[in-house]
Amino acid sequence: MTDTTNATKMTKEDFIHLVRDELDLPLGIDDLEADFDHVVSWDSMHMIRLVAAVERQTGNRVPVGKLLADRSLSAIYERISAAA
Amino acid sequence: MTTVSSPATPETHPSPLQALRTLRADGRLAERWPDVAPLLAELASTGAETDLRRAGSVLSQVDRAQVLAARPETETAVVAVTGHSTLGSLGAPLAAEFGRHGLLVETRLSDFDAYQRDLRDTGSPVYAADVDLALCVLDPQLLLDELGSPWQAEDLADAARRKLAELERLAAGFTEHSGAALVLNTVPLPRAVTHQLVDHESRAHAGVAWREFNSGLLRLALAHPRVHVIDLDPLVAAGTPLNDPRMAAYAKAALGDDLLARYAREVAHVARMLRGRTKKVLVVDADNTLWDGVLGDDGPDGIAAATTFRGEAFGTFQRLVRQLGSQGVLLAVSSKNDHDNVVQVLREHPDMVLREADFARVNANWQPKDANLQDIARRLNLGVDSFVFVDDSPFECGLVAGSLPQVAVVRLDDEPALHVEKLLADGWFDTPRLTAEDRARAAQYRTEAERAGLLESAGSQEEYLSRLGVRVTLAPATAGDIDRVAQLSLRTNQFNLTTVRLQAADVAERLADDSHLVLVVRSADRFGDNGVVGVVFAQRDGEELRVDNMLLSCRVFARGIEQTAVAALLAHARATGATRVTASYRPTKKNKNVREFWPSQGFTTTHTADDEVRFRHHLDDLPAVPDHVHLDSALEGSTR
Repeated sequence: MTDTTNATKMTKEDFIHLVRDELDLPLGIDDLEADFDHVVSWDSMHMIRLVAAVERQTGNRVPVGKLLADRSLSAIYERISAAA
Repeated sequence: MTTVSSPATPETHPSPLQALRTLRADGRLAERWPDVAPLLAELASTGAETDLRRAGSVLSQVDRAQVLAARPETETAVVAVTGHSTLGSLGAPLAAEFGRHGLLVETRLSDFDAYQRDLRDTGSPVYAADVDLALCVLDPQLLLDELGSPWQAEDLADAARRKLAELERLAAGFTEHSGAALVLNTVPLPRAVTHQLVDHESRAHAGVAWREFNSGLLRLALAHPRVHVIDLDPLVAAGTPLNDPRMAAYAKAALGDDLLARYAREVAHVARMLRGRTKKVLVVDADNTLWDGVLGDDGPDGIAAATTFRGEAFGTFQRLVRQLGSQGVLLAVSSKNDHDNVVQVLREHPDMVLREADFARVNANWQPKDANLQDIARRLNLGVDSFVFVDDSPFECGLVAGSLPQVAVVRLDDEPALHVEKLLADGWFDTPRLTAEDRARAAQYRTEAERAGLLESAGSQEEYLSRLGVRVTLAPATAGDIDRVAQLSLRTNQFNLTTVRLQAADVAERLADDSHLVLVVRSADRFGDNGVVGVVFAQRDGEELRVDNMLLSCRVFARGIEQTAVAALLAHARATGATRVTASYRPTKKNKNVREFWPSQGFTTTHTADDEVRFRHHLDDLPAVPDHVHLDSALEGSTR
């Protein structure tokens, strides 16, 4: 990963922290890999709020349209890191 | 817009959000529910919007049954949400905003785009009997989905007319079949709509049509007392974006999270207002709140509320305070200053918009401000829970918030140009309709000082009363009294014998029903007219006259007005063939002082339970109107 912008980059730990904080979901590190169907009470509203929170924190635009097709938090994290 | 989030901050003082999460983690959230509102108040008054929303997430997952089991006195509200777009993110801000007012809210979210079905079908969840507020959330897509491709301004105008007519029908049906309040909203016009039209003539035409749709919605609120329309245009104008176009496109979130959060704040204030919890008193600090500078240090010549840049900003704030005062909000000063110096500024300083006569109380002294608020409350005979306190000092704000959590604290800072926005950020003084009594209130409280002077000069309470020259008028309520009667029913807490709250529509229903008696009590004395100060609600049932409730404004206690009203009512009952009058008392936190009211009027107790005491009067020995009161009664059976 190369960071070519001035915006903050997000580590995996930051990401997990943000997910817990913003979405108020009791997530463990294992849940990163799990399909959303298996994550405690995940719904599409969580995605919206997560995107907004990540953008606020990093100052980077997240590719929302692609993100919506992702099925796990780790896939989202990979995409966010790639965009940074 | 300020967004402050809470990183892991000092160990010593956890942020309100951390405190809330700790309560949840420890499983004590239900039992400590009364702590929630003050924590949320701190988040709101410090502009920590992100944390407030996160706190809402915590609260929206609270088990309501658990809270009610641990704290049965908790006030609850049920909100049904329907609309046209994705509204899932409304749950958290509703929980936070209702929580700020101590209300435990249950949000029932309907299916996506189900508003037509929900409002048409009286069996739908929005018609459930326990719903307090039904939100029908409208968004631009409601109109845009009606347009073909390509479209012209005329197509938009047609769509706007059709949708408005539909909403008018749905609202009429809802108000007919449901007792809940229906909350609609105006729809901001997106630039991405107007600018699809390249010619300015069409653009103007479309703009007019869109505004006519919104005007029509606002007119619905004028036509139906139970319909409330939240105007989103001012929220968008204040800088909250309509939406995030990506979320609108991908998730059909036609209204963005931030706008829904602002909307939720307004909804919570509608709920507050409907429960009669409108604040009544605005207490303002003086130094750096009403004027630029510190009177004690800078002297009267060193302070400004005009002429300088900053001074003019303070002058603008004074005009807002005066504006609120003109609409029935009682104004008071709490300032750490010498009393005479503050009064002198209010009398003589050329910059002042607000003058001594605008204030019901000026408490300028060196006592702590929480004690001063309590003193003001005592002198105005109102609870501090009806107070809004405004100060630029974090210390004073923190002191009052900590020691009197019932007081709404508005924290100003050192930027006077933001004072107005901060005071208006919450609709603390929102009321359904202004009455003549509201407009005259400040003047009436001012005459209280003259009454107090008379009381001091009189040798005894009897002499005071006889010199006061109290006149009481008792008459059946007419259509013109409905708003004031509803207002008294919603706002009166102390002399409210059963605390049955009635909205204007409920009062109108009783007026239309011959078996109901709604009597308004007006009072006046040598210092002026007090207007409608009390109400008696009763029902005739054969030979029995059943008093449902009696209310009296706290301004006029202990002048014999309540005894006069009861004497006239009993005389009326006997003259119209009743053989008994029954009444009851239901205890609340605030009405304990009237527990013995009915017995003191000659009623005997017939039933005693924790939640209700019932009384009866056999009309054999009628109480007399007190000697010092002149009664003018329009009722049958009146003796004078």
